[in-house]
Amino acid sequence: MSKDNTGHALRERQSLARAGSFSQVGWILDKISLLCFSASYAVALAAELTQFLRKSLGMRWVAILFSLAGLVAQSGYLVARSRQYELPPLLASTHDWLIVSAWLAMAFYLGVQLWNPQLALGVFCLPGVLVLIQLSQFVSRQPNPQIGELHWWSMLHASFWVFGIVGVLLALLVSLMYLVKHSRLKLKRAELPGLQLFSLERLSRMNWWLVILSVPLLTLGVISGLWLIYLSRQGAHPVDLVNIAVFVDALVWVGMAVLFGWMLGAKNPTGRMVAWRTVLACLFMLLTLCVMKLMSADRIHGVKPPPAQSGGTA
Amino acid sequence: MNLQVVYCNHQSADLSVREQLAFSSTEVLERACFELRHRFPRSEHIVVSTCNRVELYSAQENPSDAPTQAQLAEFLAEFHHIPVEPILDELLEYQGPDAVRHLFEVASSIDSMVLGESQIVNQIKAAYDVAIRTDANGPLTNTLFQRAIAVSARVRTETRLSEGRVSIASVAVGEFAKGIFDHFDDKTVLVIGAGEMATETLTYLQGEGVGEILVCNRNLERARRLASEFSGRACDWSELANCLKTADVIVSTTGASEPVVTAAQMRTIRQHTGPRPVFILDLGAPRDFDPTIGNLDDGIFLYDIDDLEATCERNRKKRALEIQKARQIIEEETERFMQDVYHKATGPVVKRLREHWEEISRQELEILVRKLPELDERQRLLIEKTIFRIVNKLLHPPLETLREEARTGPPHGMIDTVKRLFRLRD
Repeated sequence: MSKDNTGHALRERQSLARAGSFSQVGWILDKISLLCFSASYAVALAAELTQFLRKSLGMRWVAILFSLAGLVAQSGYLVARSRQYELPPLLASTHDWLIVSAWLAMAFYLGVQLWNPQLALGVFCLPGVLVLIQLSQFVSRQPNPQIGELHWWSMLHASFWVFGIVGVLLALLVSLMYLVKHSRLKLKRAELPGLQLFSLERLSRMNWWLVILSVPLLTLGVISGLWLIYLSRQGAHPVDLVNIAVFVDALVWVGMAVLFGWMLGAKNPTGRMVAWRTVLACLFMLLTLCVMKLMSADRIHGVKPPPAQSGGTA
Repeated sequence: MNLQVVYCNHQSADLSVREQLAFSSTEVLERACFELRHRFPRSEHIVVSTCNRVELYSAQENPSDAPTQAQLAEFLAEFHHIPVEPILDELLEYQGPDAVRHLFEVASSIDSMVLGESQIVNQIKAAYDVAIRTDANGPLTNTLFQRAIAVSARVRTETRLSEGRVSIASVAVGEFAKGIFDHFDDKTVLVIGAGEMATETLTYLQGEGVGEILVCNRNLERARRLASEFSGRACDWSELANCLKTADVIVSTTGASEPVVTAAQMRTIRQHTGPRPVFILDLGAPRDFDPTIGNLDDGIFLYDIDDLEATCERNRKKRALEIQKARQIIEEETERFMQDVYHKATGPVVKRLREHWEEISRQELEILVRKLPELDERQRLLIEKTIFRIVNKLLHPPLETLREEARTGPPHGMIDTVKRLFRLRD
């Protein structure tokens, strides 16, 4: 009996110690704010911009290291948000969607940059990521009340949309790179020391694949969204099909589907034309979504943020 | 004695000017040498004509026989049937040591667009060969060009100018074609022309691992020779349009005096191929592709020799230290060459003085031998040697003074003094 008591006390002490260390980690995670990783990315972008003045592999590594630090902080932030609502980051709120999108874009950027540190992707990717993070301050941080009932369907729907939007965002960045490079080559200008990019052939291929992968993901996102609306009618919070969010998402999907159809069916499209259309389609999609979220017109994916919560910290 | 060069190059004149003045083929160059010899018979001439420069080197025993810059501009204008006024402003001139230094810099590729390129030496050798064939050269230009080739070899050995990207093809492909294409193993390369530039281009592109090589040339036999060297396929000139349809990378190096591909031809070709990317490097002077072809659609990337200037300038800045080393060698060699030239100018006076004194010695020796018939052969030889030794010792100080004087410039004053002192006649 006393042996059992001793064992129990030991287990309790170990459990308390573990809980203590978890609470310490939790305390650190709770302290991570949007400002932490935004600042890291801003420093990385500044380091990237110095390449235009003087090419330096050292400064490129500074940019990579700050980006890595920012990504670690951003991951911590997402973990903290997930713990706060006991939901995966994708489902927590529109705010988390945008932060996850930014996280995926950063992961892509760092993966490519570590593979080839000579490339100047930062000047294109980092501003995009910073815009997503800043936008996330102005959208809903409250989770959808129905998520508990339709957890897995919601997860699937959110994943399709987030990966689709990240694909579109990357297609936009790749198309911008293509246009910059194409313009340099057409104007017969020597490459700027700090602006080494992929070849037009590779950028064109990347753009094609990003659009080809994003559009089916967005399509699946729309279909799963419609299915969720149908399922919600049986629950406590039914969603009306005649909703601005459904209309805007459908519009976005049509825009991207038109681009998709044109890319697959067009005869002899030039790389530059594809890049321009991708830029326009992607901007249309991203701006439409952003305006909808910023105007809080969307009542499906989260609730309107209370005025006190529109600050910069988690 | 006089040396001069009248020239225009990629630093002083645009390609549009250079292509008007260029001697596009060996035959044209030979005709130019004949014409120069005919116009200025008291001068030696060598003409260097490449895509980056047109340079007329001339030398004369008597500086007053030298053609003026205006006369040479007139020759160029009449030869190419163009007005003289516009080109007069484009031509530069160097004389004496400046002309020698310029040739040494050209031969050492210091003056080239692509620093360290080796092709320029071969082009100088070719220009020299044409001058020999047409009898336009002479002793002074022979020495000058032979020395230039030797200086070029010395610069290449003693500096690191020849390291890295040292051909126009490598610069163009590295800077532009690699920005368009990811890899070349699935690309078709078409080379129009079969000269040395074509060979150099193919050597580089083969190193990049190109898929298929097509060589199209007016002379099919030459195309076959070049194609077989690079495991490519030779195409008849009549197949050019078909080759243009299949090629992804086109390098043109012909010596044609008119564009070989016009905008209208290219438009028809693009209707068949669509706007897929094609990289065209036009190394011809005059240009082989109509410059407006580059604006036909988004997929055509047309570059000529002048479009590489900015990249080459960047490479040049990176190798400033090596340029400095090369310039030191060139300065040293120019000084040495000029000393030799000036010293050579004293040659006739020295020869006459020596002959004069030796003649006097011989006469005096004969008188002595007649007066002393008892001298045996051995004694006579000893006296003869002694007299010649005395002559040499007496000649040594004035000759040494002449040599020293020749180090700083042509010793005309000293030569006149020696002539007057010893009553030497021309």
